[in-house]
Amino acid sequence: MLTAVKNQTRVCLLSLKYNIMREMVNKVTFLMNIIFMMLNNACILIQWFILFRLREEIGGYTMREIMMLWGLTAASFGLSHILFARVFSLPELIVSGKLDSYLVQPKNVLLGVLTSATAVSAIGDFLYGVALLLFCGLAVGGFLLALLLIVTGTVILTAFALLFGSLAFWFVRVEILGNQMVMGIVSFATYPDGIFQGISRFLLYFIIPVGMAVYHPVHILAEFDAGRLFTVLGYACLLSTAAVAVFYRGLRRYSSSSLMEARM
Amino acid sequence: MQAIRVEALTKTFRVRRKEKGMRGSIKAILRPQTEEIRAVHGVSFGVEEGEMLAFIGPNGAGKSTTIKMLTGILYPDGGRVEVLGIDPTKKRRQLAYQIGTVFGQKEQLWTHLTPYDNFRFFGAIYDIPDEEMEHRIGELAERFELHEFINTPVRNLSLGQRIRCEIVASLIHRPKVLFLDEPTIGLDPVVKEQIRNLIRQMNREYNTTIFLTSHDVGDIEKLCKRIIIVNDGQIVLDDSMEHLKYHYLHKKIVEVKMQEETALPQVAGITVLKQKGSHARLEVDTGAVEIGDALRQINVENMEDINISNVPLENIIMEIYRAKDRQQVKAAIAPVG
Ligand SMILES: Nc1ncnc2c1ncn2[C@@H]1O[C@H](COP(=O)(O)OP(=O)(O)O)[C@@H](O)[C@H]1O
Ligand SMILES: [Mg+2]
Repeated sequence: MLTAVKNQTRVCLLSLKYNIMREMVNKVTFLMNIIFMMLNNACILIQWFILFRLREEIGGYTMREIMMLWGLTAASFGLSHILFARVFSLPELIVSGKLDSYLVQPKNVLLGVLTSATAVSAIGDFLYGVALLLFCGLAVGGFLLALLLIVTGTVILTAFALLFGSLAFWFVRVEILGNQMVMGIVSFATYPDGIFQGISRFLLYFIIPVGMAVYHPVHILAEFDAGRLFTVLGYACLLSTAAVAVFYRGLRRYSSSSLMEARM
Repeated sequence: MQAIRVEALTKTFRVRRKEKGMRGSIKAILRPQTEEIRAVHGVSFGVEEGEMLAFIGPNGAGKSTTIKMLTGILYPDGGRVEVLGIDPTKKRRQLAYQIGTVFGQKEQLWTHLTPYDNFRFFGAIYDIPDEEMEHRIGELAERFELHEFINTPVRNLSLGQRIRCEIVASLIHRPKVLFLDEPTIGLDPVVKEQIRNLIRQMNREYNTTIFLTSHDVGDIEKLCKRIIIVNDGQIVLDDSMEHLKYHYLHKKIVEVKMQEETALPQVAGITVLKQKGSHARLEVDTGAVEIGDALRQINVENMEDINISNVPLENIIMEIYRAKDRQQVKAAIAPVG
């Protein structure tokens, strides 16, 4: 059992290494991608600085909490696009029958597929997110907690994309819906949750799980709350279990393809 | 032990049908029409360990679909599959350690990496320790002459070199059964021959069971002792190569060149396939007329050249493809009289 986990990890890490090697074929573009993404993110934060010159608090957030919000969002978004970038194009792989090579390998199909690509600019997002969290003035314990919350955020975002992506086993054209939902998480996750009330608040916490991925974590970092932490952990477990189950159920319907194709 | 056992295997694809144009698109949204394609329909056969089997048929016959069900890529709709005693739908991973797959039309290699790095990746996938991996890569590279390009990124290789690497990658874990789906498609004769040698060696040295689909009669004739022909998702023939040829040996092709145009014999058992001036091509059915008697019918004085040959395997196969069902196939290959 332990060796199986070790061997699987070895394959995933090698896959990550090869993905990055593929992107590094052109080193200048590689670095530019990362640096520009960090600058891009930094520019948007400046708007918030200006706003907080005018007001102390927006939607219940101070500047420090906005930094945590952005830090967690960027780091979770980044990490999921570094480790599991393929989940965001899963429908295309399913519909065009590109899972064959993972199905003949004696390793976990899902992990094989998810780790088969890496988005370079996501490295910029991740580094930026972690840097912001470092600048929030968290204590060591708080920072470790932040790292844990980045992991849960990554799991929730990935599982959510997996759940919607797997619908492609049943329906065509779901990728549009899935992408909208994922982009939804990301764009909502850059605003304080205090500005959303009533039904939209419910939607954000449970349907598009921005609440679970970043709002709860921000509140946990601002003021530790074990109840919220367990809610987040439980939700992450539940969502990923459901997503994995749906993927494997759908895999039975996978129909491959009869066309010529190459590994990308 | 049987390496492969298949019983009443069935797979149906459902594809959406859409009429032409905008109207068709709207109609397809309002009332989606699906069409069923019976890709594989009640196929049963067994393959012994160490056997080399040619699994052939025209395009769309269901060959690839069958291989995909045997290797755990597709879930069958019905029937039973066992490869090395393992059900691919239940123990896919366990089976994957023991089989190799080569899809001539699909690539499993990372194109931006060198063959060497690719092999290392496969080594990790099959849990082979690093030192052992070095040893195996060295051995395979030596045997299949990969040294020249083992450190060149795959995308810069020729098709032939690439397919050789694909095959080597699928052999790294020493599979007991090797599935090859049109491995020689688009390759030149020299590379084809290299690949055939490679497959033959595997079979001879490790007693690897070979399951091969190909449109190349050379692959089939030179490698396989047994042949299964499928058409429209069903098996129309399952026979030994020797038997198949034997049945056809009762037909000879006689090509003659005469000094001048002469009347050809009108005898039962001799069919004129082609006649053009002083050249003629005849098919002699030796079940109906002795070959000696047939030759005596031809004016020997007048003859400039003669060539007698068997019906090429290609023609035999073509005739079987044209036959619609098992009955017709039997009729096609049974000796007359
Ligand atoms: N993924 C798929 N979706 C729909 N139809 C398919 C698919 N794969 C194969 N088919 C159909 O099933 C039939 C058998 O295909 P295949 O097994 O690829 O044939 P072969 O390999 O013998 O040429 C064909 O009619 C083909 O169009
Ligand atoms: Mg095919």
